[in-house]
Amino acid sequence: MHVQPRGRYDFPPAIPADSRPDVRSPSRFLFWLIRSYGWVMPAMTLGAASWMIPAARTPWLLGRAIDAGVARADVPAALGWVGLLLLVIAIGVGGGILFHTFAVRMWLLGKYGLQRRVSHRAVRLGHVLNRRVPTGEVISVSSSDTDQFGATLESFGHAIAAAFSFVLASVLMLSTSPTLGAVVLVATPLLLLGSMPVLRPLTRAQAAERSESSSLTSLATDIATGLRILRGVGGERTFAGNYERQPQKVRALGIRLGTWQAVVEAISILLSGLLLVALVYLGSLRLLEGTLSIGELISFFGYAVFLTSPMQTFFEFAQKWVQGLVAAQKTIALLGTDVPWADGGRPLGPAPVLHDEASGVTVRPGRMLGIVSADPDDSAQLADRLGRYLPQESPDPVDDAELTGRRRKLARRERLEERARRAREDAERAGRPWGVTADGVDYSKLDMASLRRTIVVSHTDAMLFSGTLQTAVDPWGTHARQDAERALIVASAEDIYESLPGGWQGRIDEKGRGLSGGQRQRLVLARALLRDPEVLVLVEPTSAVDAHTEARIAARLADHRQGRTTVVVTASPLLLRRCDEIALLVDGREIARGTHDQLHDHPEFRRIVARGMEDSDA
Amino acid sequence: MLEPVLSRTSAATWRSGPAASRLPEGLDVPRGAGLRRRAAAFRERHRIRTEVARQTYAEAREPKCGFPVASSAQAVGFLGELLHGRRRVLLGLAIAMNLAAAGAGLVAPFLLGRLVDRVTGGQLERSGLTTTVAVIAGVIVAQALLTFAARRSSAVLGYDLLAAAREEVVRIVLRLPLGHVEASGSGDLLTRITSDVGKMAVAARWAFPNLIVSVVLIGATLVAMVVNSWQLTLPMLGTALVMWLGGRYYLSRATAGYIMESRSYSIINSTTTETVEGARTVEALGLGDLRNAQIDEDTELSGQAERYTMTLRNFLFSMVDSSFQLPLVGVVLLGVWGHAEGWATIGQITTAALYISQLQGPLDRVIAVLDHLQLGIVSTARLIGVAQLDDDRTPGEAVPTGVKLTGKDLRFGYRPDTDVLHGVDVDLRPGERLAIVGPSGSGKSTLGRLVAGINRPRTGQVTVGDVDVMDLPLDRLRTEVALVTQEHHVFVGTVRDNVVLARETTASDEEVERALRAVDAWDWVSRLPGGLDAELGHGKVSLSPGQAQQVALARLIIADPHTLVLDEATSLIDPASARHLEGSLAALLEGRAVVAIAHRLHTAHDADRIAVVDSGRIVEIGSHQELLELDGQYADLWRTWRD
Repeated sequence: MHVQPRGRYDFPPAIPADSRPDVRSPSRFLFWLIRSYGWVMPAMTLGAASWMIPAARTPWLLGRAIDAGVARADVPAALGWVGLLLLVIAIGVGGGILFHTFAVRMWLLGKYGLQRRVSHRAVRLGHVLNRRVPTGEVISVSSSDTDQFGATLESFGHAIAAAFSFVLASVLMLSTSPTLGAVVLVATPLLLLGSMPVLRPLTRAQAAERSESSSLTSLATDIATGLRILRGVGGERTFAGNYERQPQKVRALGIRLGTWQAVVEAISILLSGLLLVALVYLGSLRLLEGTLSIGELISFFGYAVFLTSPMQTFFEFAQKWVQGLVAAQKTIALLGTDVPWADGGRPLGPAPVLHDEASGVTVRPGRMLGIVSADPDDSAQLADRLGRYLPQESPDPVDDAELTGRRRKLARRERLEERARRAREDAERAGRPWGVTADGVDYSKLDMASLRRTIVVSHTDAMLFSGTLQTAVDPWGTHARQDAERALIVASAEDIYESLPGGWQGRIDEKGRGLSGGQRQRLVLARALLRDPEVLVLVEPTSAVDAHTEARIAARLADHRQGRTTVVVTASPLLLRRCDEIALLVDGREIARGTHDQLHDHPEFRRIVARGMEDSDA
Repeated sequence: MLEPVLSRTSAATWRSGPAASRLPEGLDVPRGAGLRRRAAAFRERHRIRTEVARQTYAEAREPKCGFPVASSAQAVGFLGELLHGRRRVLLGLAIAMNLAAAGAGLVAPFLLGRLVDRVTGGQLERSGLTTTVAVIAGVIVAQALLTFAARRSSAVLGYDLLAAAREEVVRIVLRLPLGHVEASGSGDLLTRITSDVGKMAVAARWAFPNLIVSVVLIGATLVAMVVNSWQLTLPMLGTALVMWLGGRYYLSRATAGYIMESRSYSIINSTTTETVEGARTVEALGLGDLRNAQIDEDTELSGQAERYTMTLRNFLFSMVDSSFQLPLVGVVLLGVWGHAEGWATIGQITTAALYISQLQGPLDRVIAVLDHLQLGIVSTARLIGVAQLDDDRTPGEAVPTGVKLTGKDLRFGYRPDTDVLHGVDVDLRPGERLAIVGPSGSGKSTLGRLVAGINRPRTGQVTVGDVDVMDLPLDRLRTEVALVTQEHHVFVGTVRDNVVLARETTASDEEVERALRAVDAWDWVSRLPGGLDAELGHGKVSLSPGQAQQVALARLIIADPHTLVLDEATSLIDPASARHLEGSLAALLEGRAVVAIAHRLHTAHDADRIAVVDSGRIVEIGSHQELLELDGQYADLWRTWRD
């Protein structure tokens, strides 16, 4: 996050490759963050000081000017004071701009920097990420926690500046009138403390309102997601009724919240008003005695108003720092996660023979191998092993919105322990030989990057990224148009091209939403084909595609992959017919191998593949 | 058959070379150049950012796809409507209480001023001082109490308005025409119902009450200043001018700026979500560097948006800061002069100075309040825009005379110039199973939607018992024909709520139980705590995908339509649990006519008749045996599949 020009603009700056966040503890992380901003934090604090310190002088100058001009009728002196006052106001306005500008810079450096780090971490972890951290938590780190750091550190700088201005104002007051100064200095913190008791019910009311509001939002989301059913099958009245009860609940809680806010405001008016009254009383007595000038009294009115602001800043800072630590804990849990394996270092041969020990399946180069399994999980696990992927198990999503205080903390700790346990398991698993060999060498001795480049596994739930049709098929942006066209045709996806306005530039929405399952599947296939790896493992590539199209894909696929290694996990006879050979798995072990015609009469094979054949044969 | 389109336009629409940057040109400010050149570059950059913000805003107002957006006037009208009746009284009460509170707040500075006059005039004794101070203290106590009442009544009004608006929005959503619900994805609607309702909520519960508070306070303070001394009020003219001009500049840009900003954040979020959820795909295809490059550009774009609104805020802050502090200088200057001339007393000057410092809060707030009100109105316009969709359904009085479903000369297209179906006739015999097969894009799913009465065909009509399905009220249509969709969504609510849907007012518990028994779900439902009254969804009981599918099937048994349209591609039969659900599904299909849009040939094989659709026409129709004898497309495919 050091300033370092990159790309077209220097902002936001790039993350230096060698800088690593300090993830040893939440507070160390926050201090690391402060250091990483370089000159921005001091500049922001300076801006805050030049915004607040002039404000501390304004009441004093105002009093001077009134004394000189009005009480003593000394116009030139009054004009002098007024000139100074103008200067101080101008400095304050300038300081305000500086403070805000640097605060935003700091805020954004932190936010964007961490968002980029989250992305880098996700890319580095790959599929391991989905085993360790639920998606929702990564998104909440990337969107809200990164915001929290901005708020915490802004209030850090603000508090430092507030401390300076507080000291300055105190000195000015005490030198004018020690008694009045002491009254103000003692009374202001007392006033703020006086409003503390009502802050607790206020926070509770806020929390209750927020939680009901969010359950209201999820209720509305529920209706919107299920709208097809509600409009198609019915049930509008029931759910409109269920929903309507909720806004009324929020309304009641909102009024409770509004009441507490009104109490807080009334108390603050009462207390600051009473301080004013005390100042008036004491000040007027001194006026009568002649120990205080009228201008000085007016200054004190100003201080009484001014001093609440630094005080509030201190209280705010205490709160924000705690919130910042909570956010830091979540963030370092994510940024501190690493892949379980070290690189083996040996590159793969150009056309490797793969052998899986667990199933006994051998994948021969240049052939198209079909995998048929009684239990679809067995063949999916085989595909995972061939690609060196840990099994897909997602951690429990975080659902502690209902918990509070200690129980929430406890749940969080349990979650972290659970995660650490899984990390140990993964490390242990990765340390052993993998159980799949390429040209006789175990995967654990191979270079990961080279493995990923040579062997590509296209899973059933592969993600289609938003962008254009062109970037969906050729995300790398390195392929020739003719190759992309060919991939599209092999995947029989020309109709998608036609249905999108704008051809290759037609929009693909987030996660390919707006396309049907079959359309998504065919684009995923086209993308994998364009990647053109030595070994391509396709898991159920046509499960959502109709038989007509599937037949077309099967013929073109075999043709297209001629001479390269292709593994197809499927139970579709249309695809299997085109395979050079088929491995039949029962209980995760290969029990037979042969062409479609050779296996045609195998009872196990018929049971799995030829559903419907028996009916017509009977 | 589709290759021609590809070969015709492929070269023209393919972009080679690196993708163009999404950042506009000309944002650079040269380092080390002369002050004037730098200033010009800053101005140019601000202009470009304003331009981009306006474009983003215009796109948000006029979305290319998704639901329409209402005009701001309609949104204001909608909110105005909600302020009728009881809420009009609440509004009056809130204004009155705020006026009273503001009035009380103005007394103390006034009394202070008089006090100062009397002290400097030497007309005050200790006892007089005590009385005045006691009076001021009393006024402050009254002000605190009135402020409490004023803030509370404003909050009541705000939350009341919000609850009403929320209910109305959901009512609008639940009235959405069926055809549109099926056509547009839930994405746009979800954004509106979450983020737009959120913005509307801030406007209703925070901005609107605070607008009343601030405007009343500012107005009352100005009146009090004039009463105190009209000459000493003159500096406020400067404030008014600065606030008016500056406020206009800020407010005319802020909405677009903040919309651009929040848009940029949802882009970052969606990129991150894709990277995280698709981490496996990213790893498998070596897309890591590209994903990182994308987030880099997203944050760069967001940085531009953030720095645009920062500039606007800097402008606003300096304006507010100076517009409340400079009049203080004006009051001192005028005071010095007026005191010498004899038309202003020290007390009046004190009072004016105190009034001005009281104005800081409301002046600060009023712009922020207007800002959020603007955003709220934009969001409201998006929310009520949903209501502007035309319904192509024309419910009439006619009652179907039978259960025979017929479609004649059906033509239909999603875009005005291209039809997907070119004159299809289909005749469904009561109780028969008709399978529709054909390649993707042939129009078979569209045919299913027309038959189910989701969309109105461009020409021709679908009738059930001689009544056009589009003339049937939805409640009635649902008991005639139903489209079995892919969504086995479980709603937040009781098991009963989740099942009775189609006959929410008439179905008895016995019927619900019977439906659940029919789909083999009664076993687990009866074991749930509370049985039919068990609460499902979000933090309560959650169902397995198989159970959710059973609930979805039970819904249809309760609806009891005589005809079902089953789209295999989008149907609720997930292959993983298909075997387990076969019995449940069979129970549903029993005794009903079924139109099955089949992907798998065995589904087609089991049907009474099979229709082969190609390029928007039925090219073959007949039983499995007949089609094999015909030796056409179907026979061809069948042989490839089974041999």
